[in-house]
Amino acid sequence: MSFDYQKYQSAFGNAGVGNHQFLVLFAIFLAVCAIMYVAVILFLVGGLLRRRRAGEANVVESGRHLRSDPLMRTGLIAWGAVVGIGLVALAIASFITDRLDAQAAAQPKLTITVTGNQWWWDVQYNASDPSKTLRTANEIHVPLGIPTRIILRSNDVIHSFWVPSLAGKEDLIPGRETDITIVPQRAVIFRGQCAEFCGVQHAHMALVVDVDPYPEFVNWWQRELRPAAAPTNPLVLAGYRVATQRQCASCHTIAGTPAGGNVGPDLTHFASRRSIAAGMMPMSEGNLYGWVADPQSIKPGTKMPTIGLEPDELHAVVAYLETLK
Amino acid sequence: MRSVTTAVLAGFAALTTVALLSSCNKRAADHSPAPVDAGEHALPPPAASPADTGNWEMPGKDYASTRFSGLTEVTPANVGKLGLAFTFSTATTHGFEAPPLVVDGTMYLITPWPNLLYALDLTQPGAPAKWVFKPKPSAASQGVACCGPVNRGAVFSKGRIIFNTLDGATIAVDAKSGQQVWRTQLADIQKGETITMAPLVAEGKVLVGNSGGEMGVRGWVTALDEGSGKIAWRAYNTGPDKDVLIGGRYKPFYAMDRGKDLGVASWPPNAWKNGGATVWGWLSYDPQLHLVYYGTSNPGPWNPEQRPGDNKWTAGLFARDVSTGEAVWFYQSTPHDLFDYDDINESILADIPWGNGRRPVLLRPNRNGYFYVIDRRTGQVLSAAPYGYINSTRGVDLKTGRLIYAADKQPKPGRVTRAICPASPGMKDWNPAAFSPVTGLVYIPHNNLCQDEAVSPANYISGTPFVGADVKMYAGPGGNRGVFTAWDPMRRRAVWEIKEDLPVWSPALVTGGGLVFYGTMDGWFKAVDARTGKLLWRFKAGSGIIGQPISYRGPDNRQYIAVVAGVGGWAGAVVAGKLDTRDPTAALGFANATKDLPNKTTAGGMLYVFTLPH
Amino acid sequence: MSSRFRTSLLLIGAAALLVGGCSREERHSRSKPIGETVGAGPSPDTIFPGGTAPPPLDARAKLYDNNAPAIADGQQLFTQINCVGCHSHGGGGMGPALMDDEWRYGSRIDQIATTIAEGRPNGMPAWRGKLTDDQIWKLVAYVRSMSGLPSKDAVSSRSESMSGPTPNSLTAHSKPQPSDTAQQQ
Repeated sequence: MSFDYQKYQSAFGNAGVGNHQFLVLFAIFLAVCAIMYVAVILFLVGGLLRRRRAGEANVVESGRHLRSDPLMRTGLIAWGAVVGIGLVALAIASFITDRLDAQAAAQPKLTITVTGNQWWWDVQYNASDPSKTLRTANEIHVPLGIPTRIILRSNDVIHSFWVPSLAGKEDLIPGRETDITIVPQRAVIFRGQCAEFCGVQHAHMALVVDVDPYPEFVNWWQRELRPAAAPTNPLVLAGYRVATQRQCASCHTIAGTPAGGNVGPDLTHFASRRSIAAGMMPMSEGNLYGWVADPQSIKPGTKMPTIGLEPDELHAVVAYLETLK
Repeated sequence: MRSVTTAVLAGFAALTTVALLSSCNKRAADHSPAPVDAGEHALPPPAASPADTGNWEMPGKDYASTRFSGLTEVTPANVGKLGLAFTFSTATTHGFEAPPLVVDGTMYLITPWPNLLYALDLTQPGAPAKWVFKPKPSAASQGVACCGPVNRGAVFSKGRIIFNTLDGATIAVDAKSGQQVWRTQLADIQKGETITMAPLVAEGKVLVGNSGGEMGVRGWVTALDEGSGKIAWRAYNTGPDKDVLIGGRYKPFYAMDRGKDLGVASWPPNAWKNGGATVWGWLSYDPQLHLVYYGTSNPGPWNPEQRPGDNKWTAGLFARDVSTGEAVWFYQSTPHDLFDYDDINESILADIPWGNGRRPVLLRPNRNGYFYVIDRRTGQVLSAAPYGYINSTRGVDLKTGRLIYAADKQPKPGRVTRAICPASPGMKDWNPAAFSPVTGLVYIPHNNLCQDEAVSPANYISGTPFVGADVKMYAGPGGNRGVFTAWDPMRRRAVWEIKEDLPVWSPALVTGGGLVFYGTMDGWFKAVDARTGKLLWRFKAGSGIIGQPISYRGPDNRQYIAVVAGVGGWAGAVVAGKLDTRDPTAALGFANATKDLPNKTTAGGMLYVFTLPH
Repeated sequence: MSSRFRTSLLLIGAAALLVGGCSREERHSRSKPIGETVGAGPSPDTIFPGGTAPPPLDARAKLYDNNAPAIADGQQLFTQINCVGCHSHGGGGMGPALMDDEWRYGSRIDQIATTIAEGRPNGMPAWRGKLTDDQIWKLVAYVRSMSGLPSKDAVSSRSESMSGPTPNSLTAHSKPQPSDTAQQQ
């Protein structure tokens, strides 16, 4: 499946309420500051032009007080007024934008907890019924038009959650809980990025936000609650054995199997995600082979070690992972 | 007229006589001795607490778990003369929690790993060993036992001694010959399971529960057939109703414990499979209701963020039919536990004055700090009064049965929650209290500890700990780490209290002679007056005492008091495990609270038997 | 001092610092190729009959001993792989203390690697197959740092746990004692 998610990582994407408010404010600031800029330039040019003619006004004569140039005085007073009004207008615009944003975010219908790790995103969907909570990684699905509150935490260092087309940045700070509310308004796929330097692979800590209409979102949630697909053929069974009895299970969870580690991303529906390694590569068989065989050559310094699987073990594991839809 | 009056009076007299005669018959059928102040205080039910034979055949002394010895030879007047009769070294040093059993002139001792079973001949001078049974449990099981490789006791039934080994087997040994009769493997150490509890034998069933709430284990209780050792039934304590044996007979008192498959629905998906609710503590039994009562352990992991929901059926009390295992009722004392407040403490059966008669209840000094009085037919909580300082919770709502948490003490990821009282070992841990029918008081040996806690994500790898918390414990208000309290369950207050420097980790014994015996972690074995708490006698043993003291009638008809001194368990890990106290989080935080213990005592495993001079 | 002399002095000083820090900060993010295993190294306390000598130290030892990234990664793994559940932050619990000077099964870097990979009687689990060799060696480097054995400049001076023990860089170095047999049954 090909898609151009590069298009949807623009801060001018105007696809979410937060981003829309930002763009309106940006336009106001641009207009006001442009006017100020033009005025200042005019003043500068005017000042340069008048310099020649004002020669006699610069001569100091003993005993005589100079009177201010009436034009200059009016000009400065007017300028002070314009600046004052302009700043106040900008402050009011900023305040109104902030309040509109808060209002839109006031009644979140869905709460997600995103925990930043080096260098991947742990996503947990909260529900009032605890048996319906969901854990996934690196890819967030949200319903269209519905305020979604994202609670942000970090397990190690400061990260920052930024989906430019939807909203602004919000830091994930270890020891604190911050939050951001997004209200997506277009049912497409967006790309987000960690926006705070967090270590050697900060540049490769992206995430995918998939916006669906509400009924499709609910269907997705139901699908994600199912346990992992059971192995159906010998190769996949061999891969299942490697994944649950060897190093994989020390760090990864595959629901419905003995693998219960939570150091790394949840793999229960790994194959239905659109990217591998937090947006580093698109999901495909070839990329999976490369990643499982030697993650350190693709994302050096990442916490997933190079295990050194034998070739037939590698075939088996990749075959098994591909069944985890 | 006069003939009518005479007839009426004669009729009344006849009726009264009949009534008296019939009540006389009732009293004749009731074999218990007439109690003092029968109308005023709690009494154990006679069926579960028969008259003392002088033996000690099960760890709780009787099915009601009174730990009361009816022997009266040693009294406050003469206890000052109590002296050593003999000693015996068990050749183990890992922490001794079990009571010696005494049956008709033979004493049986079950040690911590390697779970040696000794039989001592009390009829011979010096009580030489008749035989030793060596079950040879696997040494690797020590690596998955959270709180010392301890054993909380064996039980005598129908000529056999039945006990559990650390690596998860239940063994029945012939009491005379020491030969194994049967051995059933129940727990799997590869999953992190061990067995440390003392089994209960009732109606031909041997009831055994597993340990491992800190290892991501799924808790269960299993009933074995007493004759053959085959599994009769197994009830899990998490998961779907068919595994938990919840069916038509299940009628919990409170709405919060009612629903379908709550053992799955109150957990995130699949979390119940590693959810704890083990049964490593005490079971009691009511012979008239045919119900066995036991509490379940904390949920796993300690980090509550990973398991939103009430987490049924952890940290609660089950009543099950002993022959089928069906659940009859359940009460969750600590839903969505935040502080490792297991509910495995003892349930003392008592009949309390209620209205015009008596109401059958359970008396339970709980880990969460409340002394519960619970109707044992239905699970209704009649009262829950704090028996120490609590700030982690605000009380128990008796209408809904729910524990009310204090919002400021909830552990949250990324920060340290300070001064949580009581600490994770609770107001009282596994070490059981004793109940005297003479005074009507419950003698509670317990802690006064508070803690700081920080939680972090716990990773599940089977066979390894599944905790996710750093804890540091220290003394609670007052500075004393332990307390010995005499508690009046009717008036809901302490009658007297003894403050101890170290946590009181030993069980209690109370005698008909009016004495209470308990031990301290630095080795003092103490006798105090049951009514006033005055210290009357003490003896310094070679190691700290965390084991159950007992009293028995020897072959010479004299009263003996026996205890095994050997510090260890969770509280004594600093000594038994030779831990480094520079790390305050060692031993799940206990090392900080018992930093000075290595200066006060050393490891050991010595039996001491006391008697009055002959 | 002439400016040329000063310049060369500065250059020599900078070179010394560079060289000295090199191996300490070198990051070995790749594991050895397929098939490498941790050998079962015997304890130097063992009797070597007939005058034979203990085997030489494993060649991988110097890649991890005194290596700051390895110790830091090991510190993170120590909590993630549940070592902290049995050994706490060095004080012990279910397992023995790791910050003291008593080493039941030896304190040499390859002996600790064997302990982790093969397990030991009395309850230490065997991690071969559940951790890569690279991860095991990193854990070993961190375990040694808990009792002050590596050089102080390679060790983190901040302990990550709640009101933790003295940071590893301040732990006094105590000479490791031979195997403790008292606990072995």
